Amino acid sequence: MTHYGFVIDSKSCISCHSCAVACKVENNLPDSIWWNRILTDGGPNMDTPAGTYPNLTIRNIPMGCQHCENPACVKVCPVGATYQDPETGVVRQDYDKCIGCRMCMSACPYTGVRSFNWEEPQYAIGQPMGSLDIPQHQKQVVEKCTMCWHRLAQGEKPACIEPCPARIRFWGDFDDPSSEVSQLIREREYMQLLPEQGTRPSVYYLV
Amino acid sequence: MTDNTAAVAAKAPAAKGGGKGLTIAIGACAVLAVLGIILWVVQLSGGMVQTAMRNLDSWGLYITMFMFFVGLSAGGLIISSVPKAFGIKGFGGISKIAVMTSIACTVGAIAFVVVDLGQPVRLWELFAYSNLGSPLMWDIIVLGTYLILSCVYLWAMLQHERGKVSATALRVISVIALVVAVLVHTVTAWIFGLQQSHEMWHTALLGPWFVSSALVCGTGLVMVVALALRATGYLKLDQAYLVKLAKLLGAFLLVDLYFFGCDLLTEAFPAAGGVAIVEMLTSGPLAPFFWGEIVLSVLAAVICFVPSLRTNPLMALAGVAAILAILCKRVQLLVGGFQVPNIEWPAIMTPSTITNWQGNLEQAYQGMVYWPAPIEFGVTLGVLGLVALIFLLGIKMLPLKPAPGEDE
Repeated sequence: MTHYGFVIDSKSCISCHSCAVACKVENNLPDSIWWNRILTDGGPNMDTPAGTYPNLTIRNIPMGCQHCENPACVKVCPVGATYQDPETGVVRQDYDKCIGCRMCMSACPYTGVRSFNWEEPQYAIGQPMGSLDIPQHQKQVVEKCTMCWHRLAQGEKPACIEPCPARIRFWGDFDDPSSEVSQLIREREYMQLLPEQGTRPSVYYLV
Repeated sequence: MTDNTAAVAAKAPAAKGGGKGLTIAIGACAVLAVLGIILWVVQLSGGMVQTAMRNLDSWGLYITMFMFFVGLSAGGLIISSVPKAFGIKGFGGISKIAVMTSIACTVGAIAFVVVDLGQPVRLWELFAYSNLGSPLMWDIIVLGTYLILSCVYLWAMLQHERGKVSATALRVISVIALVVAVLVHTVTAWIFGLQQSHEMWHTALLGPWFVSSALVCGTGLVMVVALALRATGYLKLDQAYLVKLAKLLGAFLLVDLYFFGCDLLTEAFPAAGGVAIVEMLTSGPLAPFFWGEIVLSVLAAVICFVPSLRTNPLMALAGVAAILAILCKRVQLLVGGFQVPNIEWPAIMTPSTITNWQGNLEQAYQGMVYWPAPIEFGVTLGVLGLVALIFLLGIKMLPLKPAPGEDE
């Protein structure tokens, strides 16, 4: 069996948003849609620290779909438009099937990782960008990180991995004990987002 | 057919004054419904960006009204089926009209789900690719069954009066209808209550609570409709039946408030995450709806329980207050569910993120995270028109008046 997922060394994230932009370009994301966002655990605004000088703290958490092993979204979709790939554990989304009820958005505990195309997708640039293999974006359906399914199919890593200048993003198979990601979570201390929700996310943050 | 004509002929004298008014009302409701459909087309063609719903508050007025109308549909069916199912004395000749309110409200509930969908043309997929594990799918099945059953039940009552359906058969149908009615509220609650991601919703109490809230607003609706129809001379109804309805409403109100108290205490007592929910309700952005529900519920209960207050205008007021109280409850539940996010860390904000996206996240959650856009009010008004249209057409075309000497 294969269980794909990410390890992110959040300690070293500098919040440069390269991974988010790479995702946006690769997947030709419509305006105002971001599947991968850098969250700031700090002040009230993005990239601001908590506390008062000189006692400031900040932590950056890149967050997209957590590709949970026990996904809340898959259970509630009435038509099976969001489903878990049995071979890889990737949580997928079928735009053609989605009826736009937004039950999955409500069920997902990870605030904001699912987005809805509230209008006809529009693009800052007049021509499509990124991969030719991605499914066409559709108006009024739910979408989210696909783990770059189209790239996985060609034996490549997701688009967010390589552009990271700090090299803190890792992707691989957690079921393979010799994989980089398996080694990392064996050797390093990590946390997961909202473990109390019982969704068993496939994203590990090194701390 | 002849029976039908006879019934219409019989009602004609009584409805003389209301006949024209009824036609005008039907026309007005039809206009509203058509306007609603036009606005819905506008919403779909221009995109749901015209609504105030966004990624972090992804449901809004439509789903609030869906919950509300599922609840409203309860009263009629339960008021008329409980006496039949248990063989006890009923509420005079209002049972057919009561079921008619159920039918109209159920259609309204379904319509509110449909206008909320991003891809309504793909509705057929619900039947082709049903995921039977989804609470939403359960609700669609139960709600559909409920609508059909309400129609069958009304038909059976009418046929029974003509001696074509036996009392036993009617009783069997009423028992089934009652079971499905309880199910429909519980399953609607499960759409919300089974989501661990919203602390406010994730409670086992939500199912029974939806049943009690449904009984409150449903009984309130039947009371208001009965008083209104009696005032227009459409039917005669002994005051004793209304008093009985009022007492029942009072009891339902107390049960509903009791559940409310239980839930608040359970949320607040550990002084942990639930405190945020309680504060949001009692003193936060949803306070007007929280206190609104409590004040309206208590007002309605006082009118229902104090004999000298049970006058016609005050009983009508109690009915309206009960309905509005539950509407307040629905707003609390829907908006409240989105008001307290699991992850509050700020990130990039776009017009798709949240209704008030221009500031930062903290500012977006300062007031109510969601307030409907004008088009949502318009479409909602259209669905309300449709509901009233169905009910009034029922009054006009079907022999819903009490059968001569009908006393249950």
